[in-house]
Amino acid sequence: MRPERNTMSPIIWGMLFMLLAALGGALVISQASKSRTDLPILWQVPEFEFTERSSQPFGLDDMKGKISVVDFIFTNCQSICPTMSGEMAGLYEYYSESDLVQFVSISVDPARDTLETLNAYAESFGVDDDRWVFLRAPIEEVTRLCEDGFKLPAGDLPMGHSNRFVLVDQNGYIRSYHDSFDQNEIEELKANIRILARSN
Amino acid sequence: MSNFRRFAFLTAIATYLLIFIGGLVRVSGAGLGCPDWPKCFGRWIPPLSINQLPADIDPASFNITLAWIEYFNRLMGMTVGILILITAVLAIKYFRKSPVIMYTSIFAAFLVAFQGWQGGQVVASELEPIIISVHMILALIIVSMLIFVAQQAYYLEKPSEESGVEYPAKIGRDIGILWVAVILQILAGTQVRSQIEIIGARYPLLSDKLVLGMIGWVNYLHIILGVMVIGYTFHIVYKLLGKGRSLPVWIRQAITGMAILMGGQLIIGLILILVGTPELMRVLHLWVASIFLGLLLLLFSAVRHSKGGVDAA
Repeated sequence: MRPERNTMSPIIWGMLFMLLAALGGALVISQASKSRTDLPILWQVPEFEFTERSSQPFGLDDMKGKISVVDFIFTNCQSICPTMSGEMAGLYEYYSESDLVQFVSISVDPARDTLETLNAYAESFGVDDDRWVFLRAPIEEVTRLCEDGFKLPAGDLPMGHSNRFVLVDQNGYIRSYHDSFDQNEIEELKANIRILARSN
Repeated sequence: MSNFRRFAFLTAIATYLLIFIGGLVRVSGAGLGCPDWPKCFGRWIPPLSINQLPADIDPASFNITLAWIEYFNRLMGMTVGILILITAVLAIKYFRKSPVIMYTSIFAAFLVAFQGWQGGQVVASELEPIIISVHMILALIIVSMLIFVAQQAYYLEKPSEESGVEYPAKIGRDIGILWVAVILQILAGTQVRSQIEIIGARYPLLSDKLVLGMIGWVNYLHIILGVMVIGYTFHIVYKLLGKGRSLPVWIRQAITGMAILMGGQLIIGLILILVGTPELMRVLHLWVASIFLGLLLLLFSAVRHSKGGVDAA
């Protein structure tokens, strides 16, 4: 009996060592995964109904079930908007294989941004499907949604709009804000989208 | 002499643990947990909260969990480095008349120092897949050297250990072929993993299983070669253990270990193909292969050492 026990004991110890390592590894991986999914739930986007450039209504219900990246822009803006929409176009292309992610640009200058103007603006950024929508509504409603819903400054529209992208989850909750001029924040936005997609 | 052998053997085990931890760093996405090197967020001990971050570092880049995973990997790397350095010092002290042991130990110490520097290059390259793969292959070379010196020290201690042992004809050649096949398998596996990462970056929302299906011929090569390696392993195990052959106990243990590892590898491979590519299974897949490689080396050296081994074949 004794020689048999000696023959097997290093193998049993080795297997125990590997089992313990695997258990420790599983714990480390789950903690790392959890640390990346700790995206706070900030605020619920309120109900709204705006008009999309296709003339179709678009509201909170159209955001549910999808991950939305929202920004506020206007087509006559010569300062920050071209950069913002350029970044948004980059994301639109990056997620071209997925219907789960959509992009929502809301005009803060509805007086000049007619549906035709929004159509031309969308086409200038290569938008050829409904994954990137462009919305307009009376300025009072836009201001209310911007300030009360998305918690972004709207005191001096159209010029005073924010350059931030807002990430909204599949249930209509705002999860994070990202400076559209900072590439690190754009990368962080992509990482957060991946987290939300995995929790789908 | 036996203390050296035990020390080198324990250092090899610690190195295997480090290889496992390195794999964990990769799959848990902690490779850039510390964005600088050798410090972590400009500190020798990583920050415990966002308030401890230096003013010039973007708080968005800080994840305390990932920082500490990477930091633990570096601490473990430093510990293994010191253990290998001690192994080299002991080899210089006790094995001046055995140049193979002494120079292999010294070379391992130089290689581990280079490996430490190369770990910094992994961070500097922002996790370039080829540089990560070089880091892993260097680790395999280092651990092979440690196993080799421990075994050679054992033979100096017990010179007649393998004498009179009759290994099957041409078994040394078989083990050599299997060793090369496993190395090729590991290289193909690193390519599969790189492709997973590249495709995952291009199509970030695809499931791992779909990504695996998009890899193409490298993946199929890896699977086919894997099946051949499993078959060849059990062929060798049968040749060695069959017909009541009389082998030293530790050789029988190594052969049994090889069979168990290969069985485990078969299960892990099936999980990777059928379930997707769960992170833990990816780490275990490579880790089991690296331990298997060590056992093969052990067996190959034993066969070469015996009079009736490769020479007779």
